[in-house]
Amino acid sequence: MLRVFRNRPYLLYLTRKAFWYLVAFVAAVALNFFLPRLIPGNPVSVIVGQMSAGAVESATLERLYTAFMRDFGLDQPLHVQFWTYLTGVLQGDLGTSFMLYPSKVWDVIRQALPWTVALQVPAILVGWIVGNVLGALAAYKGGTFDRFAFTGSLMLSSIPYFCLAIIFVYAFAVHWPLFPASGGYSFGYFPEWSWAFFVDALYHYALPFLSLVLVAIGGQAIGMREMAIYELNTDYVNYAKKLGVSDRRVVRYVFRNAMLPQITGLAISFGTLIGGALVTEAVFSYPGLGSLLFTAIRQVDYPMIQGITLIITLTVLLANFLVDIAYGFIDPRIRAGQVGER
Amino acid sequence: MPNVVEVEGLEAYYRTPAGDDIKAVDGVSLAVREGEVLGIAGESGCGKTTLAQVLGLTVQKPLYVRSGKVLLEGRNALALDRETMRREVRGKTISTVPQGAMNSLNPTLRVRNLVIDVMRDHNPRIRRREAVERARERLDLLGLPPRVLEAYPHQLSGGMKQRVITVVSTLLDPVLLIVDEPTSALDVTSQKVAIKLLVDLLAKRIIRSIVFITHELPLLRHVADRIAIMYAGRLVEVGAMEDIVFRPQHPYAEGLVGSVLVPEPGMKERTVTGIPGRPPDMRRPPAGCRFAPRCPKRFDLCDRDPRPFGIDGREVWCWLHRDQPNAERP
Repeated sequence: MLRVFRNRPYLLYLTRKAFWYLVAFVAAVALNFFLPRLIPGNPVSVIVGQMSAGAVESATLERLYTAFMRDFGLDQPLHVQFWTYLTGVLQGDLGTSFMLYPSKVWDVIRQALPWTVALQVPAILVGWIVGNVLGALAAYKGGTFDRFAFTGSLMLSSIPYFCLAIIFVYAFAVHWPLFPASGGYSFGYFPEWSWAFFVDALYHYALPFLSLVLVAIGGQAIGMREMAIYELNTDYVNYAKKLGVSDRRVVRYVFRNAMLPQITGLAISFGTLIGGALVTEAVFSYPGLGSLLFTAIRQVDYPMIQGITLIITLTVLLANFLVDIAYGFIDPRIRAGQVGER
Repeated sequence: MPNVVEVEGLEAYYRTPAGDDIKAVDGVSLAVREGEVLGIAGESGCGKTTLAQVLGLTVQKPLYVRSGKVLLEGRNALALDRETMRREVRGKTISTVPQGAMNSLNPTLRVRNLVIDVMRDHNPRIRRREAVERARERLDLLGLPPRVLEAYPHQLSGGMKQRVITVVSTLLDPVLLIVDEPTSALDVTSQKVAIKLLVDLLAKRIIRSIVFITHELPLLRHVADRIAIMYAGRLVEVGAMEDIVFRPQHPYAEGLVGSVLVPEPGMKERTVTGIPGRPPDMRRPPAGCRFAPRCPKRFDLCDRDPRPFGIDGREVWCWLHRDQPNAERP
């Protein structure tokens, strides 16, 4: 082994991991490029078709078509396009959007990203924390509390989250119009740092947030309950009781050990942050990345799809990498495995 | 010798979801004497581990104590409230080395932190440093390396885990230490070391008596002063180690002793005999002597519950010895 790694098993472990994440990234970038191109339909035809609504001459359309093909670089052979894309990505250039021509993909994404992050991060965190506490309590208390918590969680987690979203829209926006049915803010407002806008945004935030958070709570609670029940029946818990260790402390042991796999769950949730919100955002016409991706797919906007999926790829990989590192610090057994100690 | 702990008329049952009682321990009275190792032997399911659980005051559902007492200096420990039981008795007066030492340490807790938790949960005023210091002295006294305090369980070998657990269990100088099948997961060398540690603890008067639960009679020959044989939730014979191992009087004890091979001169000539039949359904144990259905020497009196008869210092629950005087119960 190289000298740098001698007596630094953790560095070796990290380097090895980082290498595999790089391989995964390269593979994902290639897929990001080729998969959108398998979508039936030609993006330029879509655009030209929309323009031809005013019954323009066919020769003009023909010229428009060729011009766009050239501008988008779609007249080039596939491998040349791939190369252009690859060099662009490495320079931080995600290209120009087809559907919002001539906006740069990155500028469009930059506007949508905060909405998705603001919707998903609190939903994931709140769902994770509440779900884990609920699951642990259900496991510890048992009895009636457990029965209600478990059945409720099971029900919530088995509802597809977009289904819950649709039910919410129907119930709380249409049948009882308590909340707005769509959008991130009302017409007439413009995103700015003002109190009035904040309140309006919060009002639009309630339903999508709730629909995401409830499903998340259900899923996390079931996982946590399962883990905590397992831990509660382990030999070390029985031994601690035999030693007269207080219940409070035994619960802390159990909670901590049951938490460990849940942390992976949290990372996976963060990884699917954008993909997970896709349908919810579409249902609520929320101005985030999910809605954007949805439209981009319908318009066959290759650069936009590539740009968003690239961001999804990056978040998934980054979240997993961070968990790999964090895990070693939290669980001594994993740390031992990482550095090859017995 | 004064008694350290006395068990009186103990009935400890498991309640099944169907509402039946499994009579795991069904009327056991027993005394543990100062300075002795009392071995409790019997086949799987005879109630020895349940007895250990009641003695260690770690009864939890579905097990419950239907009646009986565990007397500690004249006080019934089973009647104490939960918190007093935990703080004053469990781990402090009566402690346990559990079955399955391999998984009995929390995998994410360093040994030193377990030591701190155990000490502080019995005496909140003790400082963390003092607790660790005390453990270090104790390890030193028993010839174990103090560095195990810094280790996580996965860094310890099986035998070392067993010894660490024994030390942690006896940190608070309990009067009685219950060891439940302490050696079943260990190789022979580690078994020997583990046993030596227990004997050492007793010799150094850190603990005052041991209840040693096992199904391996040969093991008891090396450690026990007295042996109690259990069958189907009841005692069948209690007496000095030599008497039980070499001159068992109860037909079940005879069968149990006869079913193990002990490496000693003349072993080749001995034949190992098993006990035909199998233990009764403990939801509905047979009336009278519970061993009667399998007993080669049964006769008409066996339909009635046997009394303990005394044969030179030992107690035998068998009608064959009805011409002997009633045993003096502890």
